[in-house]
Parts: sequence; structure tokens; C-alpha cells
Amino acid sequence: MHWGNWHISFVHPAYLIVAAVLIPVIWLVSFRSLAGLGPVRRVLALTLRSLLVLLFAVALAEIQWVEKSDRVTVIYVLDQSESIPPAKRRLMLEYVVRQVRRHRNARQRDRAGVVVFGRQAVVEVPPFDDDLPPTTQVESTLGETDATNLAAALKLASALFPEDTARRIVLVTDGNENLGQVREIAPSLARNGIGIDVVPVKLTTRAEVAVENVILPSRMRRQQKFRGRIVLSNYTDDDKAEPVRGVVRVTRSSGGREEPVGEDVPVELKPGKTVLTFEHEIDSPGIYTYKATFVPENAEDDLMPQNNVATAFTHVQGKGRVLLIEDHMHPGEFDFLVDRLRAMNLEVDTMSTSTLFASLAELQAYDVVILANVPRSSGDDETSVAAFSDAQIQMLANNTAQLGAGLIMLGGDRSFGAGGWANTELEKVMPVDFQIKNAKIKAVGALVMVMHASEMAQGNFWQKVVAREALKTLGPLDYCGILHWSDFGRDSWLWRPGLARVGTRRKTMIRALARMTPGDMPAFEPSMRMALAEFRKNKASIKHMIIISDGDPSAPPRALVQRFAQDGIKITTVAIGAHGVTGTKTLQDIAQITGGNYYRVRNAKALPRIYQREARRVTRPVVKDLANIPPRLVLSHPIVSGIRDDFPPLQGMVLTTVKENPLVEVILRSPDPSDNRNNAILAAWTYNNGRAVAFTTDAGYRWANAWTSWPHYDQLFSQMVRWAMRPAEDDEAFDVATTVRDGKVRVTITALDTENQYTNFLGLTGAAIGPDQKPFSFPIRQVAPGRYEGEFTAREAGSYHITIGGRGPGKPPLIVGANVPYSSEYKDRTSNVELLKELAALRPQGGQAGKVIGDDLTPAKLESLVKANPFRRDLPRAVTMHEAWPWFLFVAGLLFFADVAVRRIAIRRETWQRWIEPIRKRLRRRTEAVEVEAKLQRLQKRKEQLADDLSRKKAATRFEPDTIPTEELDEVAPPVAAAASKQKPDSGATFDEPEESYTDRLRRAKEQARRKLKRNDAEEDAE
Amino acid sequence: MTPCRASLSGRSHAGKHVGHGGHTEILGSKITGAFSLITVLSPLSLVMSELPSRRIDRRYCLAVAGCAAFAGMAGCRPSHAGPPRVDKVWGRRGISEGRFQRPRAIAVDKKDQLYIVDMTGRIQVFDAEGRFLRYWRTPAIERGKPVGIAIGQEGQVLVADTHYHRLLVYTQSGRRLPESTIGGEEGTGPGQFGFVTDAVQTADGFLYVGEYGQNDRIQKFDPQGRCVSQCGGHGDAPGQFRRPQSLKLGPDGRLWVADACNHRIQIFDIEADPPKLVGLWGKPGTAPGCLQFPYDFAFDGRGGLLVCEFGNQRVQRFTLEGEPLGIWGEPGRLPGQLSRPWGIVADSRLRFHVLDTYNHRVQRLKI
Repeated sequence: MHWGNWHISFVHPAYLIVAAVLIPVIWLVSFRSLAGLGPVRRVLALTLRSLLVLLFAVALAEIQWVEKSDRVTVIYVLDQSESIPPAKRRLMLEYVVRQVRRHRNARQRDRAGVVVFGRQAVVEVPPFDDDLPPTTQVESTLGETDATNLAAALKLASALFPEDTARRIVLVTDGNENLGQVREIAPSLARNGIGIDVVPVKLTTRAEVAVENVILPSRMRRQQKFRGRIVLSNYTDDDKAEPVRGVVRVTRSSGGREEPVGEDVPVELKPGKTVLTFEHEIDSPGIYTYKATFVPENAEDDLMPQNNVATAFTHVQGKGRVLLIEDHMHPGEFDFLVDRLRAMNLEVDTMSTSTLFASLAELQAYDVVILANVPRSSGDDETSVAAFSDAQIQMLANNTAQLGAGLIMLGGDRSFGAGGWANTELEKVMPVDFQIKNAKIKAVGALVMVMHASEMAQGNFWQKVVAREALKTLGPLDYCGILHWSDFGRDSWLWRPGLARVGTRRKTMIRALARMTPGDMPAFEPSMRMALAEFRKNKASIKHMIIISDGDPSAPPRALVQRFAQDGIKITTVAIGAHGVTGTKTLQDIAQITGGNYYRVRNAKALPRIYQREARRVTRPVVKDLANIPPRLVLSHPIVSGIRDDFPPLQGMVLTTVKENPLVEVILRSPDPSDNRNNAILAAWTYNNGRAVAFTTDAGYRWANAWTSWPHYDQLFSQMVRWAMRPAEDDEAFDVATTVRDGKVRVTITALDTENQYTNFLGLTGAAIGPDQKPFSFPIRQVAPGRYEGEFTAREAGSYHITIGGRGPGKPPLIVGANVPYSSEYKDRTSNVELLKELAALRPQGGQAGKVIGDDLTPAKLESLVKANPFRRDLPRAVTMHEAWPWFLFVAGLLFFADVAVRRIAIRRETWQRWIEPIRKRLRRRTEAVEVEAKLQRLQKRKEQLADDLSRKKAATRFEPDTIPTEELDEVAPPVAAAASKQKPDSGATFDEPEESYTDRLRRAKEQARRKLKRNDAEEDAE
Repeated sequence: MTPCRASLSGRSHAGKHVGHGGHTEILGSKITGAFSLITVLSPLSLVMSELPSRRIDRRYCLAVAGCAAFAGMAGCRPSHAGPPRVDKVWGRRGISEGRFQRPRAIAVDKKDQLYIVDMTGRIQVFDAEGRFLRYWRTPAIERGKPVGIAIGQEGQVLVADTHYHRLLVYTQSGRRLPESTIGGEEGTGPGQFGFVTDAVQTADGFLYVGEYGQNDRIQKFDPQGRCVSQCGGHGDAPGQFRRPQSLKLGPDGRLWVADACNHRIQIFDIEADPPKLVGLWGKPGTAPGCLQFPYDFAFDGRGGLLVCEFGNQRVQRFTLEGEPLGIWGEPGRLPGQLSRPWGIVADSRLRFHVLDTYNHRVQRLKI
């Protein structure tokens, strides 16, 4: 049944059979048995019972109201990748705004939304029933735009659609996807009724030069001369075009140092490919990256500079090299150790945290990396804050776990848990956990964060990011609280109790954070008072508070801020998107009075580093002062080989928790604390392909002062480094070559033994780490005697570090590299119109296929493109189900009483009349009062007339009565009699029925006979 | 009792959190009520149907009627909201004409036209029925958006361009009068501003402009725009302010100030120069009679005023002496509920227009 956009349906229509069967049965069985009820009640009872059964059956069948909606939601998916010129990317926004304004049906409450994408997709404007705000630039943090991920964008868009509308995606792109597979996801969109319109963006044909590749041998020996090749391409559609002039510059970098390889080479690039060669040799072992750059003479000859650089790297195996990373805020702290290691014939390079490695390739130059009292982030203000990014931490972990390099972490007040390394990938590699999971050890900090909504773009998003990062840094015994202006119109703690122990609640807390919407806090005072009260109840040894705000809440009273200072609670303030001096002054004052730091952030991306740095303040309790006590040697190990148990005393250490793993070897312990889970001074283990060492005290700067004059100092640290070092290669001749072609990296291995004989049937395994730092494995199989091959798809541009394992027991893995020079994003010079047509041609289930709108997005064609209507009604209408069965059940419940009542309650006629009569009377009085009055008057008049006639006729009576036909009498009498009988009960009017006298009747009969006679005479005349 | 109690709590929940799904939740509570009715009545009717028919006539009917009334209470909720009553609710979230993005200040002119400024930096003009008339924008919003708006003695529109430290002046049609702009320079000196909150003009053309930030004060400007005096200062002592969010002239000719972060109302005699504090009432709290961030207020023409509380998310009626008379509104999204309201004005017919900021709408009240 349909009523406009509504109709009904049943979830389980089979239940309707119950009604179809039961209702006839009820009538058959009950009709006779209910005979005692009388005819009316019997039929009524059976009808009610049937209705009851029907309603129950309908409720059981789960009846639903089904509503069809005319509303349409259009989500625009805009390609913001770098293959599309910036001007066209901006034009997309104008196009979308204008088209929505023109075609959106506001009365139907159509919705429009925008998704932008490059490598990832993000929501620029969620679908909403309003016009889009006029804008000329994307406001979302889009991330990297060096790739086109159509699949991710469509997936995100499809997830955004509300359920009660028809759905369409308008895809504005060049169609050159190089991440994901849109063909895999698009059919599922069509199956879900989502239509796709496409606006192709054409890439203009232009002069374009790209450095295609740098080709180097992947492994070589020291001082071996080699020849490198550089492949350049000049793309142009005009074969007779002038050659493009410019220079090619080659540089080599290793360990962060970059140096030129020869002079710049002038070139003239004709259309097509050009190959240049260069010769070079490498003196010292390590990983070297060669970079070739093309610099055009005329910038107009080459419109896309991103593809003018290509790199490749090669690996030279040599003796062990050590990289010591030190805190840029404390340079020279480990100079003594570096000197002693160099004296022990180890090559040591130092690196500051302010100039950290950027790629795994840089780390490949070293066999051991030492993190010397390095925090995860350091610095005192926005400009000096330096931090290991998640990617860099992953590189350090992969360098050991996958590529076999050693990792040594040296203690100090900024290392391990005190350095904010808890819950990082690095913690997994180390033999100890950085968090204290022992309640007996009072190493507890408390951190309160105050969140105030910022008017800057994505301010709330970044607040959540920073809070999450800070929360991750805290240990399980630490306390954390977040204060914000809640929906309830007051400052509120995000969870209860306000300052709660992180413990096992970390994930719950992070989820609560994700749901938080910080409001516009009017004043700092209430939240600061709440924080102070909570701090005072808490027994944590270090308490710290961070306020993030744009600075416009009303300033707190100075006395309140001073109370924080008196309690030793420092408040760090972060001004983000602050409103001038007025806003920042308040925050500056709070930080200054309490001794905290003040940061003014213009780029929200700096926030997580600041919060990590600040959260680290409360993790300090893991630092333990020792009363000048020497550690105990508890295990014989190559690191302490030849060293007697007479270690000098220590004045401090960082508490850790030894991993519960049989591979972990604890070599030195501190007598204090006595719990063996937390007192490791020196612990080591082998983790996957590499080795890791935790040394929880420092190397002589402060806590181990006495060690610098200890005769075994050099021996201990050099043995530590050598034990952890990546093993040297053997003499077997394994030649490994890598080639990159069509997005695939092929690894070819030629295996010869020491006698130059092919080595067959090796179970070689391949593993690689891509630019995203995610390790993955790939198969290697033997294809010929001594020849093995493996292949994997390189979806991303950048360096791939490949490890070949399975050469045999005790043999170290081979390490080579392959370089995919740049994203295919920069190779694409024409649009993939075919793919776009394919997407538009997909027919959404129940609707019409999409359209390809125009052939290019240009300012000149914008108006005609805007004319196309993506809000057209040719898609399957959205259907919304509303459950109706509870109402039916409700009515059935009510009928139940009526059903019972009809059977059980017999009301006598008199009772009915007694109930009804007053009502009837009242009604009649109203409607008939006037009519009765008129009738009475008429009757009165008639009575008087009849009385006159009667007296007159009585006087003339002379004859005896005779028989008179009754029908003749009826013709005279009825009007008066009927009126009188009707009026009698109600009006009470009574009068004598007028009796017709014999004389009257005789006279009337005589007249009738006379009239009859006349009629007969007339008929005879007529004939 | 159980079914009714359950449905009561369910209804209460719906009342607090109904947003876009509000319709569903109301329906849900009705369904709960229906179930409670059936739950109570069905077994009862079964029992009754087994009783001798003579005895059940009256008792049965009474019991059924009683139960029906009892179950029908499902969905009822005790209401704390007394008069005034909601007369009209209008406005939706959005950026197109007539819609709002967190409206933060409201003013009404003599023709009962409403001027509303929102987080897009637009000043939109509506009639008292909520019909959109026109709009214009402030010159810049990158640093922040206005939080105050008022109508001058000659009908000019005064916009507190908060984060640009100035008071903008417009004609009613939206034409800016740059020569009338007050301030524009950040600072604490005479004529300089921190965050400008609101302004009010006296019949003789003098302007009183409120500000907060480093120097919470009210400055007095002569008709030529020269700063002639100031009062206040940051603090909670009488006469000091912490965010003087709203300024209005009272029926007594005095200057009334909503001292938002001190949770009080202060009254100044502006015959004196600088203005002299003559009255102060209000204390922080959530109980009736207490205030929590009073952001705006409007006089009711009957010897009282209605105070709009951002913190308590309600409107409270007081006598001019600060005696509480009643409370209207509670946190929520349904008509009659408020989400962090910023402003209130009274029109010539003494209807009150409340700016329900986080619900992106206006609610009109009648006393």
C-alpha cells in the first residue's frame, strides 16, 4: 500500500498466515459457543477477537512504515595531488561552490560535502544541507600530496553519506591513480546505489624533463671503481621541438654529509631519453646515496620540478662504525666515551638531535647506533624543540630488528622512561621496558592538561593529537587528568576521578579524548582551581600542568597562580592561534609565575612535540638516585668478559622493568632497588636480526663519575659496542643486483661459494623495509644454477632496504638497497580519461549511470560545467524504515480489554436506557425545542377548528349510523393522529381525538358518489 | 511502579540529548509508554476476565481506567521550567543567508529588527518573526570574531570587533562609518583596547565601551570619540571586572554591567565621572538566585530583568535588586532548552529573544 512517499512492509510476512488461519477457526468454533451472548454481542465479540489476532499477527510480522526520500546528497571528491597544477586545484573549489549554490534544492534539504585527497583523503566539508562556504584554498590538513589515492577518497566519501538520501559522488580528478585500486572499490559503490559523476581534469601537454633513474651497482667493495648511469627524459609531443638545455649535478651523501661528484655537466636534451654516465669510487665503507639533479637553463622548459631529482644508493661493507646520537641541548656530554671508543679503534661519528637522520639509508652506514641520554623530544621553546618523529623511531627499530645493526641505549636523566620513550617502537627492541609496573616503587607523576577551544583551523583536532601523545608518554602508575569546558556549561574533568591513574585505562582515556569537544572556556580560574584541588589530594612526587589556549579566557587571579608556584606545580602554557598581545600576556604570566615554559605556536604541527616534551616532566620519577653503591655482576657475558666484579660505585640510574623473556640477559644489577624486575644496570638481548643493549646509568658524566678513572672503562664499553655490532660479512661471493621497472623491484642473487662454485638449493628469504618504514617479506626462488630471484611491488617512491637471509646457520643477512626515484605522480602527463569514463559508466543499483561532465576543468569552461546538475533525481531514492509494530501491539493490548469486556459484561436494556436517556434528552432539547413549539401551535389551532365543526354538526344530526369503508376514514384522520402520537411522550400535550359524526360521514359519502357519477358521465361524453 | 519509572528515566534522557536523532528518541519514549501500558493492563485483564461477571462491572472499569491513567504517565517528565514560555524557535546552523554559525551577540532596534553576529563574522538582520532581511560582514575575521553588538541612540549599529580591539559603527543598512570607529589599537592606555566586549550609548551621545584581557574596564567616549574617563580594572573587588561582557542602560538611567567571570551584575551611576558603583548583586553557583557566567541581560519593563547565563545555560529573572523570581531553560537541544546561550534582548512588545548559541538558533519568550 502506498500513501505518497510512504508504504508498509513486513520483516516476517509469514506470520500473517497465523491470522489467515486463526480467524476462520475462531468464527467456526466460537460462533455456536457464544450463542448465549445474543446476536449483537456475539458478532461484536468475534469481530474483536479476529481483529485482535490480526493485530498480533501484524506485530509479529514486524510491520514497518517505509518512507522514500526525495533528498539527494552530493559529495565532491577533489584531487589535490601534485600532478594537477595549483591553479586547477583552486578552480575545483570555485566550481564546487558555484555548482552547489546553483543546483542544490534547499526545499528538499539536499546536502553537499567535500572530500579532498592526495596520498590520503580527508573531509573538507562534511555533508550538510546548506551552501558551501566560499573558499579558494583547502583548509584541511591534507598531508602528502605526492600521490593520487582515488580508492581511499571514494571509500571515505561513501562512508560519509547519510542514510536517508540518494547518494552521488562527483569526482574531479585527472584519474592518474598511483596508490590503491579504485576499480576494486567502485563496483561496491554502485551496488550500494551510489552514483558517480566525473569531471575530468586534463593535464596540458608541455615541455617536461624528468630524471628517470640513477643506476648503480647495489653492493661493491672499497676502492672499487664503478660506473653510474643517469637516465633523463625530455617529454614533448613535438618531435621537432628545440632541445632543452640545462646542467646535471651529481652529489653523494653518507652519514648526513653531502659532497659533489665532479663538476656540473651541461646537457642538451632532445625529445626522448638521454643516458649520461659518470665514474666514481668509494674509499670507506658505508651506505652512499648518489643524487642526480637536472637544472634547466630556462625554467619554462620544465614545469614540474619535483621529478628533476633521482637518487640511488650503494653499500660498501667495511669495519664497524658507530653512530652516537646526543641531545642537542647538552652537547659534549659523551665526549669522554667517544674519545675512549676511538682509542679502542672504533670509528665513531656523533649526531645531534637537532640534525637527525632522515632516512634508514643514513643509518646503514653504521653497525651500531648509541642513544646517549637522548630524550624523545627536547628544547625549551617552539624554535628549539627537536624530537624524534614516529618515522625516525621506526627507522631505529627497523635498523636493528630487520637490518641487524646494534642499538645501545645509555642512561641519564633524559633516557629510557625519563626521556619519554615509553610506548614507542624503540621500547619493543630493548631488553627492558621503560615503564615501571611495580607499585612498590614510588615513581609517580601527575599531569593535568587544560583544553580550551581554539578558533584556528583544526585547533580541536590538534588538541586531541597532543593530549593523546602526552598520554602515551605517561607510565601506568602516573596520573593524568584533562579539563575542558563541557557541553554542560562548566569546566569538567574528562574522566572520573579527575586525576586518574593511567594503568589499564590508557585506551579508555584515549577513546574519551577522541570524543571530547572542548568548548569556549570563559575564564581560566575555575579549571585552575579544580586542578589545584585535585593536585593537592594526589601524592604523586612530580606534578605538572599544561594549558593550551588561544588566550582569550579571562585571566586567573594572581594569588591562585602563586598557589601553584608555592606547591611546586609548574604550569606550561601553549598559545595557539592567540589573539595578539592581550591573549598571550595572560599565558605568559601564568608560565612565568609558576616556572613553567611558555610556547607560542603558529604551526599546529609543532604541538605534539611540545606536549611530549612537557609530559616528560612528570616521567622524571623513574630516575633513581643511588647512594654511591657499586652494581653487582650477575651474569658472565661477552660484554664483561675479562672484567672482575669490582665495578665502581654509581650515584644514579633510570628505573626500568626487565622484559619477561628468556632471551634477556641481565648482566649488572643495582643493589637498590632490591626488586630484580627493576634494578637492571646492564641488560642485553638479541632481537630478530640485531642486538640491543640497555645501560641504565650514564657513561661517566654524572652518575658514573668514578667509572672514568676505572681501568676497565675502555674495555667494558668497547666490548659492549663490539658485541652489539652488526656481524661482518664472510668470504662467500654473493652478488646481489636490484632493478626497478614498472613499479616493481626485482632482486637477483648470484651465489658462489669460496671456491667460486654455484651454491644451489639455498632457502633464501627476502625482507624489505619501504619508505613508510613498514617491513614486509617477499619470496625468493632459484631460477638457474646459483641464481635466485625475488620481486615485490614498490607502490611508493623512496628507498627500499632489502635483507636477504637464509644463507645458512650463523651467516649474517645480506643487505642491499633499491631506490624508486620519485612518485609516479610526477610521471603522469596525461589524464586517465578511460578510467574516469569507466567509473562514470557504473550503473548504481536502481538508478541511472553517472555522467562525464565536460572534458576539462578550465576557467573558460567553468560556467558550462557548473550548469550540469549533480543533484538530479535519477538515483535510487533512499528508503527509511520506521518500526510500526509496537503501535499495533499497543492497539491490540487495548482491544484485549474490549474483547474481554464484550464477553463478560452484559448490560441490561434498562441500564442502557438509563444511561442514554439523559443524553438523548439533552440533545433533543437543543435540536427540537423550536420545532415542537411550532407543532404545538398548529395542533392548538386545529383543535379549535375541530371543536367548532363538532358543535355545528351535532345540531344537524338526524340519521342512524351506517357502515362506512375504513379506507375512506383513513384519508381524513391520519395527519392529526400521527402528529398527536409523536408528540405525546415528549411534549405532554393531550387533547380528545376528534370523532367524525355519522352525518358527516354520510354527507361525505354522498359527495363522493356524486363526484363519481360526474366522472362517469364525462368519460361517456369523451367516448 | 517499575515500568513507569523506567520510562520516566528514558524520557529524561531523551530530553537531555536529543539532537538530530531527537525524533527517534521521543518516539522511543512513546513506545516505552505503550509497552508499559500493555505490560500492566494485559495480565490484569486476564485476571479480571476470570472473575464472576456480576462483580467486575464497576471494579473492572475502575481498575482499567486507573491503570490506563497510570501507564499513560509514561513519557511525562517533571518540568522545572516555569513562565516565561517559548513563543517561537527559529534559526538553523549554516552559512547561507538566514542561518547561523554559533551566533554570539544580538541587538534589537526600535522597529524590532534583530541584529545578530555569528562566528562567520556576519551581521544578519531579521524581523521579530525571524524572517531574514539583509546582512553584511565585518572587515576581517582572521584574528577572531565579534562578541558584542548594540544599537546607538540614532539607530546606528555598534559592533564590538573584539579581537581587532575596536568598536565598528554601521548604519542600519550595513554601511560602515569608518570615521565613527572607536579604538583599533591594542593596549591599556586611554582609547586603546584589549578584547572589546560591548558598548552602550547614552542619550547625550556618550559611549561606554567594555573590554577584557589585560585591563578589564569600561571606557567612556564623548560624541567626538575621545576617551574622557574610565572605570574598573581587572579583579573581583567591587567596581572591578573580570570580563564585563554586556553593558546596558537601566530604566533608572544607570549603567548596568554583566560582570561575567565574577558572576555578578554591577550598577554604575553615570552622572558621576568616572562612573561610580552604586549597586552590585549576584554570586557564583548553580542554585536559583546564583549566577554562572552571566553574558547578557534584558530589562522586562515590569521592574525586573532577565539574565542569560552562559554557564548555567538558562535565563533567570530577577528584580532590579537581585531577588530571584524564576528560572527558564535547561541544558539541551529541544525547544525551551539552551546550549551555552550568549545573548538576550527585549523588543518593544516585551518579547525576549534569547541567542541559543550552540544550538545555532533564537528562542523567543513571552512572559
